[in-house]
Amino acid sequence: MIELRDVSRTYKRGADAIRALDHVTLDIDSGRFVALMGPSGSGKSTLLNIVAGLDRPDSGEVVVAGQKLPDMSEDELAAFRARHVGFVFQFFNLIPVLTARGNVELPLLLTHLGKAERRERALTALRIVGLEERAEHHPNELSGGEQQRVAIARAIVSDPEIVVADEPTGDLDAKNAVEILELLRALCTDFGKTVVMVTHDARAEAHVDIIHSLDKGVLADPEMAARA
Amino acid sequence: MLKFLPFIWRNLARNRLRTTLTTSAIALAVALVCLLLTMPAGLDAIMSSLASNTRIVVVNKGGLVYPLPYAYLNKIRARPGVVAATSWTWFGGAFDVDRGVTFPNFAIEPDSVGTVWEDWGIAPEQLEAFRKRRDGALVGRTTLQQNGWKIGDRVTLSSTIFPVSLEFQIVGEIPLERAPHFWFQREYLDQALRAKTGTGLDFLGTAWVRVDEADRVELLLSEIDAMFRNSEAETSSETELSYMKNFMGQLEGFVTIILIVTGLVALCLVFIAANTASMSVRERVAEIAVLKAVGFRRRLVFNTLLAEAVLLSMIGGGAGLLTALGLTQALKAAGAGWSPALGPLGSFIITPTIFVQALFLALFVGMLSGWIPAFGASRRSVASALREVF
Repeated sequence: MIELRDVSRTYKRGADAIRALDHVTLDIDSGRFVALMGPSGSGKSTLLNIVAGLDRPDSGEVVVAGQKLPDMSEDELAAFRARHVGFVFQFFNLIPVLTARGNVELPLLLTHLGKAERRERALTALRIVGLEERAEHHPNELSGGEQQRVAIARAIVSDPEIVVADEPTGDLDAKNAVEILELLRALCTDFGKTVVMVTHDARAEAHVDIIHSLDKGVLADPEMAARA
Repeated sequence: MLKFLPFIWRNLARNRLRTTLTTSAIALAVALVCLLLTMPAGLDAIMSSLASNTRIVVVNKGGLVYPLPYAYLNKIRARPGVVAATSWTWFGGAFDVDRGVTFPNFAIEPDSVGTVWEDWGIAPEQLEAFRKRRDGALVGRTTLQQNGWKIGDRVTLSSTIFPVSLEFQIVGEIPLERAPHFWFQREYLDQALRAKTGTGLDFLGTAWVRVDEADRVELLLSEIDAMFRNSEAETSSETELSYMKNFMGQLEGFVTIILIVTGLVALCLVFIAANTASMSVRERVAEIAVLKAVGFRRRLVFNTLLAEAVLLSMIGGGAGLLTALGLTQALKAAGAGWSPALGPLGSFIITPTIFVQALFLALFVGMLSGWIPAFGASRRSVASALREVF
């Protein structure tokens, strides 16, 4: 599903060049729940962005869902993301002026679906995350855990093969964090999604299939983690 | 794009106070521009409605301040097609010397007044009284009202030009709001000057002529000017409409200045609207990054943000247009009803052309103000925006 070969990425910060990824090679199979862990600045988010088609490597090959991402134009990458990738962010990033349903419907505006069909699919996604009854609530009327569930519904509403999550439990209390991890686990187990998650949360180890550790842009040998 | 309209609309309603203030600023400016755009045509319409097409005016070619020999009047009267002619000689009379001249007052010939200004509706019996009474005066309605005078009152004017003060009895009213004149007999001034200085009034300021047919006016204008060419005082004859337009020429220049200033105000408006659009985009860096992450292409992000600015501007422009429309209609209604003094303002009309111009102005403001922030937001890399935000 995801193949990275010898991928490097350097950022410029003022006069300094920061090596975020250093010749990273990585394979992630379809339907796996993968965690990228490591200290701050280790390159986790950069790796996630490259996998999701949000950023481009300076060198190396990136093939996701059978498509070579570095060869794509910006518009092609946008179309790729719309079709193949769902996103979950640490701070939920819901649109405050839209209801939960409106937020979940947002990616469907890029499709040719009619209004009724978009609504139906959004409600289905909200049902999956257990928030159908909160569909007409605005983000400021939802708890942090509920907002993150809405974000997950938004990520899966267009039925992508891959869900990327950047610190999805970083802004949640312990109870909600575990619920979100269980929900992401269920996306893999019940819906066959490939979930790639950046996290500092040690509780994640109990939920994921594989943990990849990064340090200073270099990928350590993968440590297989037993599913909880 | 239509399916994004609810999303665009909700974004506009995100900060209601800011949206309301910006919309109000645009509405005010568009209303102002609309009203100013009605002025050139409105002034033209007012002058056309006031001017008679069979009345001409003869003045000194050197300018209004230079007199003409009084003998010219009879020569003009003798021209074929001239029904009547009278002179206007500026008296410069002040009712209250400290306040100076507060209304126009002229010495005229009483016999021809009724004919030259037959369209002004002065009552025949009052014209007759004016003819009979040497110290009689015909006074405009607004001047009567402003000074609290009525027919039968005696009024003394001290001239700021001639060394005399004359006492008049008001014998009639010029029943027009737009005619504040104070007319009295030329002979009365002539006699007073002879008594005071030994010299009578041998000149006139302006000659007004009533022509029998409108078709004859152009020919008569050339004939009169030709008659006095190479004389001691050459004349410049023109129709009443042309005369009023020349007289208002300075006002038209003023209107031009106002239009230029309005253009600059509109430009400032673009900057204000652009600042609002920029603030709105800056506040939503994270949201825009998320939109792009989930698959919104650059062009779509650009279009939705631009549409937001244009929609805001068009709402403001529409409100401004309706305000201007309402105001002009109210003035028109007021002029026709409870306040006849506002009557001429009914000529300021929002024409279909002005309507379209106002909408285009709003569209222009929206496009220009939204373009740069929308372009910047659409070009920004998702990864860099996400790094900055998260």
